[in-house]
Order: sequence, then C-alpha cells, then structure tokens
Amino acid sequence: MTRTVAALALAVAALLLASLAHGDHPVAFGELISLVTQPAGANPQVEMIVLDLRLPRVLLALLVGVGLAVTGAIAQAVMRNPLAEPGILGINAGAALAATTLIVALDTAPIHLLPWAGFAGASIMAVAIYVLSWRNGTTSLRIILIGIGLSALAGAATTFLTAFGEIRDVQRAMIWLAGSVYHADWNGVQVLALWLVVPMTLALLSSRELDLIRFGDNAAQSLGQRVNLIRALMILLCTLISGAAVAAAGLIGFVGLVAPHMARRLVGPAHARLIPVSALIGAALVMAADLVGRTIIAPAQLPAGIVTALIGAPFFAWLLWGRHHVAA
Amino acid sequence: MSSGGSFAAARSGQIKTAEGTRVSALAVLCCILAAISIWSVTLGTSRIPVANVLSAIFAFDGSREHLVVTTLRLPRVLAGLLAGGALAVAGAIMQAMTNNPLASPGLLGVNAGAAFAVVMATSLLGIGSETVIWFAFCGAGAAAGIVYALASTGPSGATPLKLVLAGAVLTTFLTSLTTAVLIFDQNTLDAVRLWTAGSLSGRTMAQVAAVAPYILVGLSLAVLFRRHLMTLSLGAEIARSVGQNPILWRGLAVVIVILLAGGAVALAGPVGFVGLVVPHVARMTVGVDYRWIVPFSAAGGALLVVLADTLGRTVFASQSFPVGVTMAILGAPFFIWLARSRAGDVR
Repeated sequence: MTRTVAALALAVAALLLASLAHGDHPVAFGELISLVTQPAGANPQVEMIVLDLRLPRVLLALLVGVGLAVTGAIAQAVMRNPLAEPGILGINAGAALAATTLIVALDTAPIHLLPWAGFAGASIMAVAIYVLSWRNGTTSLRIILIGIGLSALAGAATTFLTAFGEIRDVQRAMIWLAGSVYHADWNGVQVLALWLVVPMTLALLSSRELDLIRFGDNAAQSLGQRVNLIRALMILLCTLISGAAVAAAGLIGFVGLVAPHMARRLVGPAHARLIPVSALIGAALVMAADLVGRTIIAPAQLPAGIVTALIGAPFFAWLLWGRHHVAA
Repeated sequence: MSSGGSFAAARSGQIKTAEGTRVSALAVLCCILAAISIWSVTLGTSRIPVANVLSAIFAFDGSREHLVVTTLRLPRVLAGLLAGGALAVAGAIMQAMTNNPLASPGLLGVNAGAAFAVVMATSLLGIGSETVIWFAFCGAGAAAGIVYALASTGPSGATPLKLVLAGAVLTTFLTSLTTAVLIFDQNTLDAVRLWTAGSLSGRTMAQVAAVAPYILVGLSLAVLFRRHLMTLSLGAEIARSVGQNPILWRGLAVVIVILLAGGAVALAGPVGFVGLVVPHVARMTVGVDYRWIVPFSAAGGALLVVLADTLGRTVFASQSFPVGVTMAILGAPFFIWLARSRAGDVR
C-alpha cells in the first residue's frame, strides 16, 4: 500500500514537472527552480508561460482526474456493477445534450455559458433518474435501468442535433464532448478546487459505508446501514463531483471506469485504500493524457479525453492480465 | 390418491397454462410483426395497397409499383426485421452470459469496431455507401474477436468480468481513435454522421441477401441453444455443477453474438438501444427464463426497429431520418415505465 501510494505520488509529481517544462517553448528544469526561488529575477516570458498557461492547465487536469476516478469508485460500489462509472447516473448524457444544444441549436449563445450548461444538464439528468427510480426506496437495478432509458432519450436528441446540425458546429461540439483542458485558467481552477473540497472530504470519510453497501442491500441493512439514505447521499456526491469535472473539462471518459479497477488490482477492494489510490491513478492518467495530447502532434493538440483511453487502455490490459492481482 | 400427488398434478397444470400463455403471446406478437411489416411496405411517398404488395412479392410482373416494392421498400423492411431481431437476441445473450444488466452487443466492441473501420475506410479510401456494410461487418467481427482473445488469456479463461472489462476498454480505445480522426477530418464527419446515428435508408436487396445468412444462422443457433444459454446465465459454478462446460459455451455464445451483431451493424449502423433495452423488456414481461427471452427478444426487437423506421420515414417525412433516434423516442418512455413498475420487484 505505502509503496503503491509513494510510486503513484512520485508519478504525479513527475508528470506535473514534465507538463510545466515541455511544450512549444521548452523550459529547462533549472529555470523552473529559479522561478520558485527567485521570482523577482525571472524572465517575464517564461514566467507567463509556466505560471499562467501551463500550471493552471496541469492543475485542472489533476483535479478532473481525481474527481472522475473517485466518483467512478463510488458508482461501482453503490451500483454493485463493474461497468458502473459516473456516466451511469446520466451525467454524461445530460451534459452532452446540454452542451450540444448550446453549441449546435443556439448559435448565438455565449460560449462562456458552456460549463454552466454542462453542469446543469448533468445534474438535472441525475436528479431525474433518481426521482423516477424512487418507489418505496430505490434499488440499484432500477436506477441502472431508468438510467439506460433516460440516457437513450437524451442520446437520441443529441444524435438528432449532430446528424442535422451545421457541420462546423457539430465538429465544435464533438471537440467539447471529447473532453479537454485547453481553456484552463486560474479562475476556473480555483472555482473547481473550492467546489470539490467538501464533497471530496465526504467521499473519503464514507469509505466504511461504501464497503458495507457493496455487499448488497439486505446485508448492508442487517448490519445497520440505512441503505436508501446512503445511496442517495452517494449519488449526490457523485453528481456534485463529476458534474463539476464534466463542466470544467467536457466528457473525459474511461478514467471513471478504469481508474478504480486499476486501484483494485493494486490495493484490493477496501475503500479506505481504494479511493485515494484511484484518485492518484485518475490524476496521473489525465495529466499524462494532456501532456501527450499537446506534444505528440504539436502545434496541433489532441483533446485529453481521447488520449486518456489511448494510453490508459494498454496499461489497463497489462494490469488486468499481468500478475498484479491483489484480489480479482 | 395422496395430497402430494394432486399438488404435483395441479402444479404441472399451472406450468402448462403458463407455457400456453407464453406460446400464444409469442404467436400474437409474430402476427403483429407480420402485419406491421406489410403495412410498412404500403406506406411511403406513394401509397401501395396491400393486395399489390402481396402480388409484388408472390407474382412479380415488373410494373412500376411492383418495382418500388421489391427494390426500395421490401429491402428496407427486411433489413429492419433482421437487424432488430439480431440485435435484441445478441443483447439477450450478452446479458445472459455476463449477468450484467448493462451488457449489450456493443459491449463486445462490435459497434466501436464497425464505426472505426467505416471511418478509417471513408477517410483514407473514400468508399461509397455500397461497400460500407462490408467494412462495418469486418470491423465488428475483428473487434469482437480481439475482445474475446484479450479476455481469454490467463488461467480462468474468459470470465464475465474480464470479458466486459476487455470489451469496455477496447470500445473506448477504438472510439477515441475514431473521434480523433473525425475531429480533424470534417469531410469524413459529414459523410458518416448519418450512418453512425443508425439508418436503414438505401439498403438494396443484394446487401440484405448478402448479410442475411449470417444473421439467420446466428438466430437459429440462439433458438436451438436457448436451454444452454439459460444454464450459462446461472453463473459458471452452477453451470458446471449441472454438467455444462462454461468455457466452451461462452465461446459459442460469443460466436453467435458476433454473427448477429456484426450483421446487424452492417445493415443498420451502430445502434445501441435495441440490444440493450429489448432483452430487459422481454425479461420484465415473460420472466427470467432465457428459453423464452430469446424468441420474445427476436420478435420484439424486429417489431421495434421496423415500427421506428416506418414512423421515421412517414411522420418526419424524411427518407433519411436516423432510425436510432425514432427508436429511442418510441421505446425509451415505454421502457422507463416498465422499469419503474416492474424492476426490483422481481428480484
């Protein structure tokens, strides 16, 4: 456990430094250090590139990765389904519909509304799914099924817009939907960080409840858990965290699904360990994806959401079929 | 007579009536399906009476109306029937095999593989709509093969968990590659966006005839082995204890899914809804018994796709309205209502 966390933390730190140093204008590590030690004597151009362009971007990637991975772990426990991820709660379908509507259908809408539209779409969808699946309490099967149904409806509307909208707008919408951290600025990073403090703390504190609810409704209930309440709280946490992550960076898939599985291979299924390790893996995945995406075909950039899967999938395959089993 | 004997007799009588109800329900469903299909052929820019439709099929005389029926409308309806039935049965098999309510044929990488192949072919070779179905079919088969191979490595073979995870990972991987191409290539995006929404427009009889054998073989295998699918759905341990070799049968189930879903994707594009939702509807109406879920899914899936396509091209009056969209508009509210009133009580 300690070794895994240390290795992952090192990886995240290394990625942070690499992201600050690499890019169209390479910055030597010595310059990075002198930027911190003697801020007065720094080259203003380097200072601007590192502090105003690269640092917010890499921090945004870190926050988004952490948020998505943690919500993925929670969703898999609450839904008791290995395929669960934040999208199962309707987050992705809702955000996609809201964003596509804004970009394709309402040409004149200002673009800075996009994050708010994404968050609103995601939370409205999550609430609708929860409300519709309430009948003398909820069951995870009913939430999954209603989620499939409502997501299909929202997906149909999105598909309609992409099939018949102006091709230029459709392409812009696709780039947003692919998930990226191009447009990171300090303001956005601060808002996201502040927003995530409370739900993330709650998520870390609820690892025991998650361990319990994973056993099934009956077992959890007989061990004294108020299953419906916990499930509602956990879904609320997921919506708050991943809704904000999606609003900040678009639909970065894969992290929420795969980071918890990777963590489970490394440290086992107990959530007290699973959640922090998932968070580190998620952060490393998105940071690495953004670094690769903006350097591999520079000056053009690939959205982080695309690269996440491209570099994450082989790593995941290696973990899954290599000899790294703590518990299957 | 002991009371136990009469109880057993009463119980077997009950089971017989339940079977009878299911058989008659299936028969009614098939009649509705036939009626809707014929009705669908009569509709269009020019209405063709039922009698002419039937004579075009059974006594073709080369008139304009007969040509419209045999070259335009009939292939489209047949493609819908085949694709719908195939996707729904493939979905039922996937859900039986993985025991996961989120499983659909697309989880085996079928849709992502087909989309990747079509986008790559369109972008690099600039192919037309006649050859698209073959790229889709090959892409689907290759992706599903890779997923199964990945999942089978290791001592325990393709366990359901490894299978769904390998499928989910490869699906995201291929979808990412596809998106990466589409973001930079506007012409390809314009050429394939209607296809990715799922569409039956412009299917020719030759295409339908070319894909039909795969789907029909898959469907008959599924119906033939529906008892084994039922056993498979009980999980590897129970299956093994009643004498089934789960590794062998899981492999066969994957082959059936590839035949069915590959053919369906070739005909109708990567539509997700049927394969995911129709098996759930079948399970919620006829009970958790795959011997019945398979035939009910086949009929229900075919009905949903043909109905959705017919509505799409009459109500929205556009020959190219994507069937994937109408299907969700038509099916999702019903599915939500059913899930709300049934799911969770059965367990």
